[in-house]
Amino acid sequence: MDEKTILLVEDNEKDEALILRALKKNNIGNEVAICRDGAEALEQLSRPDAPLPQLVLLDLKLPKIDGLEVLQQIRANPRTRLLPVVILTSSNEENDRLKGYSFGANSYIRKPVDFIEFAEAVRQLGLYWLIMNQPPPFDRTS
Amino acid sequence: MSTLPSNLLERYAVALQSHLTNPDDTALTRAYELGRSALDDGLGVLDMATLHAEALRIAAVHGAPAAKPVEADKAAEFFIESLSPFEMSLQGYRESNARLTALNEALDQARIAAEEANRELESFSYSVAHDLRAPLRSIDGFSQALLEDYNDKLDGEGKQYLRFVRESAQQMAQLIDDLLNLSRVTRSELKRETVDLSVLGRGILAKLARREPGRAVTTTVQDGMTAEGDERLLGVVLENLLGNAWKFTGKRGDATIAFGSKVSGGLVTYFIRDNGAGFDMAYADKLFGVFQRLHGTHEFEGTGIGLATVQRIIRRHGGRIGAEGAIDQGATFTFDLGGKAFARMKA
Repeated sequence: MDEKTILLVEDNEKDEALILRALKKNNIGNEVAICRDGAEALEQLSRPDAPLPQLVLLDLKLPKIDGLEVLQQIRANPRTRLLPVVILTSSNEENDRLKGYSFGANSYIRKPVDFIEFAEAVRQLGLYWLIMNQPPPFDRTS
Repeated sequence: MSTLPSNLLERYAVALQSHLTNPDDTALTRAYELGRSALDDGLGVLDMATLHAEALRIAAVHGAPAAKPVEADKAAEFFIESLSPFEMSLQGYRESNARLTALNEALDQARIAAEEANRELESFSYSVAHDLRAPLRSIDGFSQALLEDYNDKLDGEGKQYLRFVRESAQQMAQLIDDLLNLSRVTRSELKRETVDLSVLGRGILAKLARREPGRAVTTTVQDGMTAEGDERLLGVVLENLLGNAWKFTGKRGDATIAFGSKVSGGLVTYFIRDNGAGFDMAYADKLFGVFQRLHGTHEFEGTGIGLATVQRIIRRHGGRIGAEGAIDQGATFTFDLGGKAFARMKA
């Protein structure tokens, strides 16, 4: 279980606190690495010595490099191209959803304002992506 | 040329012969007039050249010595005069073409400016959606955190206040979403496709019934109502109108909702009728305004943007919408989707 880390790419520290709280409430004890902007996330994922996370939770509106660009770069890199990426954003703009899926997002979740719904969304995300979903076989040699 | 009016050749030949034998300005005026009428008949310069050659041949047969240089000059002079209306019209064409080009350029500039404004509006809407929702999520989330983690430190009133904070945050989130929908309705491109309103309406009513399984509502939807329009936007119309009918019959045990259509003068009119709370006709003109509500939120929830959105969609389709009602006597919303060609009934 401790190997399965989550990479949370989120610039809003209050949203981060709410997501962490929702994870804790739902007894999802996986380690969560946090990146505050797109550049930091890409840097973290390209470190060859660091193991890849089980799941990336990606906000779209991010400083430096935005979420859609981060997603494109994740998919362009052979090491991370199969990594499960879930977009977790305020936006439900058609264009964002279209681009998100076109660039290879595994899922697209709009953050609900109602915290009880938000906590439920986080619970289901954790259950599905960390427990039910079988991750892709990563090529350890690359 | 088979398209040459026969008497034109005759008139041209006679006038030309007269000019060759007795050259004067009257004959040249005739040439100009003949050219003018040929132009009006839609003839081109090649037709004129053919006409001129024919007329010259006829003149030669009738004894005019066309071969001599002086007569050739006269013939040429006559021909040139007959062609001058063409030249003038070509000139006019060039001028209006230049004016059109200038107008097109101005239009192009306006289009670029409009596109720019649209892009700005889009990025504004984007910010509204993204940036205004984030703080609301914090307000709601941390209020809930207080309710959960500091439950024993709060008395009943304190908890009630926090619930009010959460309710307001969620209400504002709904307002933002509804406003965004309203602006999207105006921005998005209008598709024209055949839409089965009966199927669409039944689906919406079934969804409403699933959401509130405790309600007993008698619904009737006429079969085979098809319309030409944008399926997604017409879905928004029906969701709002049927949703309203559902909502405002909430306090009745014998709620009925009917969705049907009528044809008069070739125009199809659709109606959605309920026997719910209704409204005072004195405020009918306020129904479709943004943020206008005829009921308090404690009575019936809502943001007051739904009917404004509906009206915008109907107007974009070239149609009209109206409402009739009386307090506690129900309401009937009637709309059409514009011209006869735009809305029709399946036979």
